[in-house]
Amino acid sequence: MIDLLFFGRLGDLADEVDRSVACIEGRATPLAIREWLAVDHQDLANELSEPQVLVSVNKMIVKWNQPLFDGDELAFLPPVTGG
Amino acid sequence: MTDLVCIQTDDFDLAGEYRRLRDISSRVGAIVTFCGLVRDFESSSSEIDPDAPINNLTLQHYPGMTEALLANIVEQAKIRWPLYGVTVIHRIGTLAPTDQIVFVGVATEHRKQAFDAAQFLMDYLKTQATFWKKVTAEGKEQWLDAKGSDNDAAAEWGESRDD
Repeated sequence: MIDLLFFGRLGDLADEVDRSVACIEGRATPLAIREWLAVDHQDLANELSEPQVLVSVNKMIVKWNQPLFDGDELAFLPPVTGG
Repeated sequence: MTDLVCIQTDDFDLAGEYRRLRDISSRVGAIVTFCGLVRDFESSSSEIDPDAPINNLTLQHYPGMTEALLANIVEQAKIRWPLYGVTVIHRIGTLAPTDQIVFVGVATEHRKQAFDAAQFLMDYLKTQATFWKKVTAEGKEQWLDAKGSDNDAAAEWGESRDD
């Protein structure tokens, strides 16, 4: 299983998304998961497609084509606004 | 332990943080501290009237990742300047206008290093650390947008990411 995390406004849009998804080892990527989310959550997928949104796997920023493995923690990060 | 990175719900004590930096070494000749506060208005959101008073501000972060990113930002500052000590404190949770939200302090031998390092730490914190702000105004909650000016300020320090 892969754990999904959504921060900031993405969390509100992902209110009804299952936070744990099964995937085929090494075949899933953040991009594939975004496309899968678009089936039932178009507003969320649109927001995830904004160029400023970053993805991290196990708390490291990665590219959208990074292969994912069982137990990975995938987070979608909108532009940060701390300070 | 001369560096301190804290993410906390509790408030912090400016005098105490200054004293910690001052006590690190008798070679310290300059301390710059910065403290950010919660404003009672928000002009950077297109969906909030800039004249509407802010009721409160909630800070979310990504536990584990934020600590690692802040530690990395501190390390980058220490590569650029000879720093005797660094403190970064960022509050999370729900805060009210006039509350303290962020503290950055640096102790160095000379003032220019201290001013520059403090500025660098804040510029990087604002654009890289995984915090997100939501404000409540006029009974409405609204996540804030990132500011282009913050990215410009961070970019002036040169390439920052490895990827």
